[in-house]
Amino acid sequence: MTGTLTEAQQLAYANAQAADGRVNVDLETDEGMTLNMGPQHPATHGTLRVIAKLDGEQVVSADVMCGYMHRGYEKLCEVRSYPQINTLVNRIDWLGSFANEVPFILAAEQLMGVEAPPRAMWIRTLFFELSRIANLSLFIGDLALQLGAQTPAFYAFRDREFVLNQIESVTGGRFHPNFDRIGGLKDDLPKGWIADTKAAMSRLRAYCDEMEDLVYGNEIFQTRTRGIGIIPAGVAQSYGLSGANLRGSGVDWDLRRDANIGLAYDQLDWKVWTHPDGDSFSRSWVRLQEVREATKMVDQLCDGMPAGPIMAKVPRIIKVPEGEAYVVTENPLGQMGYYLVSKGDTGPFRVKIRTASFNNISVVPWVLRGVYVPDIIAILASLYFILGDIDK
Amino acid sequence: MADDAATDTAVDEAPEVATDEEREALLSVFSAELGEAVVAHEIKPGLGLWIRVATEAWPAAAEVAAKAADCGWFDFLSAIDWLPSPYGRYEDSSLDVPFPPPMPDRSAAVPGYTGGDTRLQVLASAARMGTSLRVLLKADVPDDDPVVGTWIRTFAGAAWHERETAEMFGIRFGGNADLRNMYLPTEFEGHPLRKEFPLLARVVKPWPGIVDVEPMPGGGDDEDEATEGGEES
Amino acid sequence: MGLVESGKMPKPLTKLLNLSRKYSVWAYQWGLACCAIEMGAAFASPRYDVMRLGVIPFPASPRQADLVVISGTVTDKIVPAIRRLYEQMPDPKYVISMGSCANCGGPYWDSYSVTKGVDQIIPVDVYVPGCPPRPEALLEGIVLLQERIQNEDMPTRWRGENRGEPIVVG
Repeated sequence: MTGTLTEAQQLAYANAQAADGRVNVDLETDEGMTLNMGPQHPATHGTLRVIAKLDGEQVVSADVMCGYMHRGYEKLCEVRSYPQINTLVNRIDWLGSFANEVPFILAAEQLMGVEAPPRAMWIRTLFFELSRIANLSLFIGDLALQLGAQTPAFYAFRDREFVLNQIESVTGGRFHPNFDRIGGLKDDLPKGWIADTKAAMSRLRAYCDEMEDLVYGNEIFQTRTRGIGIIPAGVAQSYGLSGANLRGSGVDWDLRRDANIGLAYDQLDWKVWTHPDGDSFSRSWVRLQEVREATKMVDQLCDGMPAGPIMAKVPRIIKVPEGEAYVVTENPLGQMGYYLVSKGDTGPFRVKIRTASFNNISVVPWVLRGVYVPDIIAILASLYFILGDIDK
Repeated sequence: MADDAATDTAVDEAPEVATDEEREALLSVFSAELGEAVVAHEIKPGLGLWIRVATEAWPAAAEVAAKAADCGWFDFLSAIDWLPSPYGRYEDSSLDVPFPPPMPDRSAAVPGYTGGDTRLQVLASAARMGTSLRVLLKADVPDDDPVVGTWIRTFAGAAWHERETAEMFGIRFGGNADLRNMYLPTEFEGHPLRKEFPLLARVVKPWPGIVDVEPMPGGGDDEDEATEGGEES
Repeated sequence: MGLVESGKMPKPLTKLLNLSRKYSVWAYQWGLACCAIEMGAAFASPRYDVMRLGVIPFPASPRQADLVVISGTVTDKIVPAIRRLYEQMPDPKYVISMGSCANCGGPYWDSYSVTKGVDQIIPVDVYVPGCPPRPEALLEGIVLLQERIQNEDMPTRWRGENRGEPIVVG
């Protein structure tokens, strides 16, 4: 910069200084050092901030600051109509978008007493599993990336595209489909889609095998994750962990099997995977198995698809009768539920969104106590969260 | 296809009766342990169990859920503001309407299932692992001094949820000292999920998408008309 | 450096420098929300592969970056951090605002916690609309930005005087 500073530049400088003051924390304390990770840090999938107090290389205490992605979903839901909310909630867990719509639509259908036709339920289940694959396949690459391996991330992005293609060819959106409707679905499947999907699924199975060799079988990966960040089942229970984080602690609980509300899971041949260790490795390993299991489920869903309509009779203007409903489903990240309170209006009176990542991450201060700094990354990566899912 | 549908309903109905009994049993556990403190309850067969407990018994209810009722998996904790929003759904919001509009009368707050006497209610859920069984607990929050007991002694995971609820509703939890803001900057004023909190952008500019819920032009009578699948619009 | 700031650069030299800047844009990834995944697909996936356009998406810090892609919802809480990041980048610096949220608030236009557009805090060169934009749209934004870099008058840009009208993709 030449010459004197303009007023705008001075203001910019002052703003920057003020921002520094807010973003920084004291580095040196009496007890030791404070390590600040975030709000933008490659290891936090977005804008999570972890503040760890260290004693040498060990974490004495850790605090998580979230809210950098808080968009006020619950308030916005109160002023939107049901179809509008459906568009909005896609963006909570943005990797498995369709899965966000399902519990909301099911809750609204429950209050309205509407039941979607069997074919709609099958296609819902199909997309539920496709979004699980789209979500968790990226997790595997991302996990490896955070532990220092670049290549698996490229592989993950490469093979995830096959799933996104399939979603896009039906819904028109790569990952915000907004495809679910109260009473059914927006559209039927296009011609030739089932064969393409099966081809994509075999690609994904090959990807899983590749990853199992390349990442999970890797000695360095195992050393960095085995025995790290152990969460016993009792702790997982009191923090409300769900999904692979809970099943990785040896708890055999999957809402797809145990509390199936109308989706087609009870007509499929599949298995709930658990792992007894409760460490970072077991959580990641369960997710890999879930991707593989989901590809098999998609194959079965393609084969057994019933014929029939995809939309039940619903009024053009959706008004949900007065009442309360709470519907939870087993989403890619864990259990996601909507507590829907309706007063008979075109929009809900109150929506409480129970997201999986919020509970999954609330255990971080507990689990980070006493671990070494490099393990923070492994633990955070294996707990697997999406910022939109934490902050809503 | 008809066969499939028939077996479906048969499968659906069988466990519905069973879970209903399970929920009755669950309710009786709470009634036995808490006695008078169980103020009201509601069972939707196969769908859910709501229990409203007295405000003082809120922490005890968590204890019962975790121990005696064997619902030890913490689901969520939040609150509901039963007052209708003074802004309605911002249909006719514009600068012409006086701002802020008059607050609705306190008596306009009509609670949902299991009733209630106050404007704010805390709402929480706990589940039994391995099953579809979960219990939804509610308790009134006093109007003048919104304080209820904390759940963190029973469920460690409730700490964050109570922080969130405190921030969003201004409810304090006695015994939980760490009620810093979860999401919003510390300087943020107001409790967004209270109904009187305005969405200022909407006050200034009405939602352009409101046409979505208006009747279609020339579509005949609006509400009673049902559309067959795929023929929307 | 002195030559550039003096504003007396010979034309061929400007062309040469612009050409080399155009094909070595170091892009800092500021992934915020959904769009970050599409940005990841554009930057890190073999299918879209931004490197063939001469964009290097791996600077370790904003101090080494020429371009920042703001991809996703900007909330009031993250604003100081974005502001600070932008101030750290060396001139000349370019900003791509990716997705409806970063452009104008998008689906959260009425939210109490979302900033209605990143252009309220930092100047934006390219807007890429979409929710989220496809990776191809982001690539087009980068190509358009490269065209602008090619035809730029460096001294005025370096003094931050002439930013030009922002480009809107599509």
